[in-house]
Amino acid sequence: MDQNVPSDHAMSSAGAQALERTGPDTAARRMGFFTDTTLCIGCKACEVACKQWNQLPDDGFALTGMSYDNTGHLGASTWRHVAFVEREAPLPGQGSPRDGAAAATWPFAELFPLGQPGPTSLLRDISPSHIETPAPLGPTERALGKFSWLMMSDVCKHCERAGCLEACPTGAIIRTEFGSVYVQPDVCNGCGYCISACPFGVVDRRADDGRAWKCTLCYDRQKGGMVPACAKACPTASIQFGELSELRERAEQRVEQLRSRGVGEAYLYGADAASQPGTEGLHAFFLLCDEPEAYNLPPDPVVPTAKIVRSWWAMAAGVLSLAALAVGSAFSVRRA
Amino acid sequence: MRDGKHPDPTFDAQRWDDGRNVSPGLGALSGEGALQRVRDRGPLADRGRAPPERVPREEAPEGKSYYGLPVLKEPVWKWFIPAYFFTGGLAGACAVLGAAAQAAGGRGTGDLVRRCRLAATAGIGASAALLIADLGRPARFLYMLRVFRPTSPMNMGTWIVGGFGGLSAVAAAPAVLPRSRALARAADVAGYGAGLLGLPLVGYTGVLIANTAVPVWQGTRNTLPILFAFSGAVSAGALLQLWPPRDRAGARGHAAGEMVLRFGRVAKAAELAVSFALDQEAARRAPRIARPLHRGLSGAMLQAARALVGVSLVLDLWPRRGRRTLLGTLSGACAMAGTVLLRFGVMQAGRTSARDPHATFELQRRGRGGAEEAARGEGGMPTLPGVEPTGQESFHAGPGA
Repeated sequence: MDQNVPSDHAMSSAGAQALERTGPDTAARRMGFFTDTTLCIGCKACEVACKQWNQLPDDGFALTGMSYDNTGHLGASTWRHVAFVEREAPLPGQGSPRDGAAAATWPFAELFPLGQPGPTSLLRDISPSHIETPAPLGPTERALGKFSWLMMSDVCKHCERAGCLEACPTGAIIRTEFGSVYVQPDVCNGCGYCISACPFGVVDRRADDGRAWKCTLCYDRQKGGMVPACAKACPTASIQFGELSELRERAEQRVEQLRSRGVGEAYLYGADAASQPGTEGLHAFFLLCDEPEAYNLPPDPVVPTAKIVRSWWAMAAGVLSLAALAVGSAFSVRRA
Repeated sequence: MRDGKHPDPTFDAQRWDDGRNVSPGLGALSGEGALQRVRDRGPLADRGRAPPERVPREEAPEGKSYYGLPVLKEPVWKWFIPAYFFTGGLAGACAVLGAAAQAAGGRGTGDLVRRCRLAATAGIGASAALLIADLGRPARFLYMLRVFRPTSPMNMGTWIVGGFGGLSAVAAAPAVLPRSRALARAADVAGYGAGLLGLPLVGYTGVLIANTAVPVWQGTRNTLPILFAFSGAVSAGALLQLWPPRDRAGARGHAAGEMVLRFGRVAKAAELAVSFALDQEAARRAPRIARPLHRGLSGAMLQAARALVGVSLVLDLWPRRGRRTLLGTLSGACAMAGTVLLRFGVMQAGRTSARDPHATFELQRRGRGGAEEAARGEGGMPTLPGVEPTGQESFHAGPGA
C-alpha cells in the first residue's frame, strides 16, 4: 500500500485517477463517520487536527460569546466545527453527583451525600467533619440539577444524494471510491452554485482563493490507508470512522445502550434513507440528544434537485405562453 | 519588501500555489513574539460578505435554533448575477419577439426584427461578461462546458447561453456586415433558432435559483420561472418602447409599434399576476418563508418593482399617437426600472431567507422538506437524467457496490 501522502496536486490528479482501482481492498467500500455526541467532551482536537492536516488558513480571530464555540459554523476554511449548547434541561447520565443521578456509581460517592454540596478540593476537604455537618445547597448547586451540555463535532455530511454534487456545473464535485463527496480544486471555477445548493450550509467559497472548499473526508489519508485526521485525533472516540454498514450497527447498539441507561432522547440523525429520505442517508451521521435545530442541523433536509422536476415543467408552461404571446401579438397586428 | 500588500516576500511566492497557504488577507501577521499583531477582520466575517446575523429576540418564534445563527450559507453571487438575470431575460425575450415578428412578416416589421436581433446579441454579450466576471476563478469559465448535466440548471444555462449567443450573433450579422443574400438567409434561420433558444433562456434562471436550499426560492419554485419569463418579456417590450423601431407609416399605421405595445401590455399584466401568485405560493408552503417578500429591503424592492410595472401598464393603456411619445418613453422607463428591481429584489430576498434559520426549520417542520418527496411514494427521491443520483458514475464502482 502506498504510504506516501500525496500533496494537493497529486490528490487532484488522484481525483482523476479515481477511475482506477487502487487495489482489491479499496474496491468501492462505503466509508464514513459516526459522530456520537454523547461522548464529545468539546476539546476541539478534531478542529485542530483538520486544520493542521489540510493546512487550512484561519478564519479570523474573534470571540463570539456563544459558549465555547468561537468558530461559529463550517466554512471554506473550517471543515470540522464543534458546537456547544448549554441548556437548562437535564440529560440523564450527564451531571454531577450533586444531582443525585446514579450517585452510587461515582467514585468517592461517600464524599458526596445526596443533595449536599461537594468538597471543593478532595485534598483539603477529606475529613469526616465535612460529612457529619452538611451545609445547605447554594444557588449554583441547586441549578446544576437542571443543566446539561450538548457538544457536537459538525462536519460535511457527505450525503448519499448530495446537493452540491448535483448542482455543480463543471463536474468538479465527484463521488470518490470511498463514497465521499470531493471537490476537485483543479476543476472548480468558483461559480458558487454548490454553496446555495447545500441543505446543511457546509460548503463555502474562499474569498481570496475563489474556489469552493469543504471536508474531503481526508481523501488523501484514505488513499494512504489511514484514518481521517479528526477521527484519529478524537480522544473519546466520539468521531468514529469505518465502513458505513458497520458504523450503523454500532450506532444502533449505542442508541439501545443509552436508552437502557435512561437517555430516552438519544436517536440517530441521518443514518439511513428511511429516517432522512431527502438525502437518502448521510455518510457522516450523528447520534443526537435534542432536536436537530438545537445543533444547527435542518430537521428534514432535502437535496434541491429532488424538488425541481415540477419547476422545469412550470418553466416550460411559462415560456410556451410567452411564445404564444409573441406570436399572437405579431400576427394579430398583421391581420388588423 | 514590507508594504501593506506584500508583508512577506518569501510567502508571496507560494501564495497561489494551491490556495491553502495562510492567506495574508485573512490572517496577516506582523511583528515577532509578543509584539505579533493579527489582522482582525471582525467576528466571523468573510471578505465582502455580511457576518451571519442573529435573529432579534422579539422575532424569534418558539422554535429552537443554534444562537439564532443561520443554518445555510448565503448565496455568494455579487450584483453581476441579478444583472445577468436582467440582461439574459431581455436578450431572450427580444429574440422571441423578433422571431415572431419575422414569422408574421409584413410591412414595417423589418426594423423591429433588426432591433430585436441587435438587442439580443448585445444582451447575451453583456450576460456572458457578467457571468464570467462573477466566477471565483474567471479564467476557468470554459470548465462549465466539461459536462452536460440536466441536474444542474447552471450547466444547462451555460449551454443555452452559448448556443443562443452564437445564433443571435449570426442573426444580427447583416446589421453590421456588408449585405449578402447568403448571409441574410443564414441570419433568418439563425433568427428562428435564437427565438427558440430564447425561450429556455428567459425561464431557466428562475429554475436555477429555485434549485437551491434557500427557503424563499425553493418555496416559490413553481412560479419563479414563470415570473422571470414574463419579466424578461416586459423588459424587452420596455427596451423597444425606449428605442422604438422606425416604421414607415403606411395605410395600416405603425404596425411594429403596435406589435410591441400589445406584447408589452399582456406581458406586464401577466407579470403582475404571477408576482401575486408567487406570494401566494410562498405563504402556502410556510408563512415564514414569505417574510422577505414583504419586509425589509427585499420587500421594499419587490413592492417598488410591482408598482413600477403597474404604472407602466396604466400608461400603456392610455391612448397615444405617433411613434415616439412621452407616454411611451415614460412607460418604457418605468417598466425597465421595475424589471431591474425585481431581479435585485429576488436576489436580496434569497440572501435574507438564507440568513434566517427559522425559515428553513419551519419549512421542513411543516413537511415541506424530504418528507414531501418521500410521501409522493415514488420510492427514493425524484431524479433527473444526466447524473446517476449518488454520483457513482465518477468512478468504476465495481461489483456489489
